Amino acid sequence: MANQTASVESQFLRQISKKFLNWSLLRQIMSFVLFIGLWSIIVVAVDYFHQIPTPKAVFLALFELPITVVLINILKSFFRVLAGFFLGIVIGFPIGVAIGYSRVLKNLIFPAFEMIRPIPPIAWIPLTVLFFVHIESQIIFLTFYGAFFPIVYNTMGGIAEVDIRLPRAAMSFGLERKLMLWKVILPAAMPQIFTGMRLAMGITWILVVAAEMMANKGGMGYYVWYNHTVMDYPHVVLGMGIIGLCGAICSIGINFVGNYFTRWRRIF
Amino acid sequence: MANAKEETLDFIWHAPTFKTKLVNRNTILSAVSIASLFLSWALLVHFQVYRFSLLPSPAEVLEEGIAWVKTNVFWIDAFATTLRVLVGVLAAYIIAIPLGLMIGWKKVFSDLTFPTLEVLRPIPAPAYLPLAILLLPTREASVAFIPFIDAFFPVLLNTITGVKIIDRDYFRAARCLGSSPKQIFWHVVLPGALPSISSGCAIGMGIGWMGAVVGEMITGKWGLGYRIWESYILIRYPLIVDGMIAIGILGLASSVLIRYLTVRLIPWRRAITESLDESITK
Repeated sequence: MANQTASVESQFLRQISKKFLNWSLLRQIMSFVLFIGLWSIIVVAVDYFHQIPTPKAVFLALFELPITVVLINILKSFFRVLAGFFLGIVIGFPIGVAIGYSRVLKNLIFPAFEMIRPIPPIAWIPLTVLFFVHIESQIIFLTFYGAFFPIVYNTMGGIAEVDIRLPRAAMSFGLERKLMLWKVILPAAMPQIFTGMRLAMGITWILVVAAEMMANKGGMGYYVWYNHTVMDYPHVVLGMGIIGLCGAICSIGINFVGNYFTRWRRIF
Repeated sequence: MANAKEETLDFIWHAPTFKTKLVNRNTILSAVSIASLFLSWALLVHFQVYRFSLLPSPAEVLEEGIAWVKTNVFWIDAFATTLRVLVGVLAAYIIAIPLGLMIGWKKVFSDLTFPTLEVLRPIPAPAYLPLAILLLPTREASVAFIPFIDAFFPVLLNTITGVKIIDRDYFRAARCLGSSPKQIFWHVVLPGALPSISSGCAIGMGIGWMGAVVGEMITGKWGLGYRIWESYILIRYPLIVDGMIAIGILGLASSVLIRYLTVRLIPWRRAITESLDESITK
C-alpha cells in the first residue's frame, strides 16, 4: 500500500518535472537571465555606456514609482488608444466590408485611399493641430488615423480572399442573400480582419507615444519624455517597460476576442 | 491570379465580364474617386467649412511645392530623410534576418533569445528615443535608431515565420541525402524563407518611414519631418502639406522598389506568398 502511494507520488512528480522542468523551458528562463546579465555587464564594463541605468537601478526605481501619477498617465494613454482604435473600427470596418464586397464601391473609394495612405500618420500632426481645437481630440484623431487603414485594408483583403466555394455552397443550400454576409463571408474573413486589428493596435501605441512626447499633456509617452528631460533614466526605462506591458495587454485582449470570433477554426 | 481573386465574390452581383478597353467603368470610377478627393478638399477650404479655413488650399500647396522643389532645401531634406531611413532599415535587415533565420531554424537558439525579444517587442519605437539619444554618439544616429527599431520586429517575425512554414520534408530529404548543416542552411532554410523575408522587408521599409518622421519631428536638424514641423511653427502651412506629399511619395517609391527587386530576385516567391504578402502589406 505504502509502496503504491509512493509510486503514485513519484509518477506525479515525474509528470510535473516533465511539464515544468524540461530543457526548453529552462533555456527560455535562461534567455532573460542572459539578457539581464549582458545588460549589467555592458553597462558596468564599457565606460561609454555608463549613463545607461543598470538593471539594479531600474529595479530599485520600481519602489519609488509615483504610483498615482503613473496610473493616471496609463489611463490617459489607454483612453486615447482605445478611443482611436474603436473609432477606427466603427468607421473603417463598414468601409472595408463595403469595398471588399462591391467592385463599384471599391473603384470609387479605393484610389482616393491609395493617394492618402502612403503619408505616415505622424506627418499629419501639424495639420491635426491646426484643425482640432483640443489636444485630446488631436491625439485621438491621430490614433484613429493610424488604426483606420490597417483595418480597412485587411477587412477588404479578408473579404476578397474568401474561398469562392463557401458562398457557392451556401447559395446552393438556399441561403438568402441578406444572410450571406453575416453567416458566410464575415466569419470566413474574420482571421484576416483580426490581423488588421492587431496591426492597428500596434500602430496606435506607436502614435500615442509619439504624440504624447510632443504634446505635454500627460500619458505614458509624456512620462518617458519628462523623465528624459530631468535625466532620471531608470524611470525612463521603467516607463518604456510599462508602455510595453500596456501594448502587450491590448494585443492579448485582441487575440482573446479574435479567438472568440474565429472559433470555427477549432473545428477544422 | 489577381483577376481570379477579383471575381471571387463578384459573381454574386455580376456575371464575369472581360474588360480589355483602357477606358472602362473601373478606370472612370477611379478617376472620379481621385478627382473627388481633391475637389472636396478645395471646396471645403474655399467655403471655409468648420476649421478648414485654416488649412491650405490645393492651389497654394501646388504653388509652394513647385517653389520648394526648385530650392536646394528640398533636396537636402529629402536626401537626409532617405539616408536616415535607409541606414536604420538596412541595419534592421542586417541584424534581424540572420537572427530570424537562426531562431526559426534552431530550437535551442530560439529558446535562448526569442522570449526576451517577445518582451521587448511591444515597446513602441518612439519610446526608445530617450535611450537612443543617450546611447548613440550623434543626433543623426539617434534619429536613424527609430526606423531601425520600427523595422526590426516586422522583419524578424516574418523571417521566423518564413522558416517555420518550410515543409519539414525538405529538411528530411536534405538530411537523407547527406547534406551538412551548412548546406541545409544555404539550400533549404534561406531559399525557403526568402519570400516571407521579402514581404517583411517591404513592411519594414514602410514603417521605417514613419519612424524617421517621428525622430525628425522630435529631435532633428534637417529632413522632411523636421521641415513639416518647422513650417508649422513658421506658419507656412502649404509647406506642411508639401512635406507630407513628399514623404508619401518617397515612402511609396521605396516600398515599390523593394517589392520590384524581390520579385526579380526571388522568382519563386509569387507562387508561395502572394496571399500572405497582400494580407500583411496592405
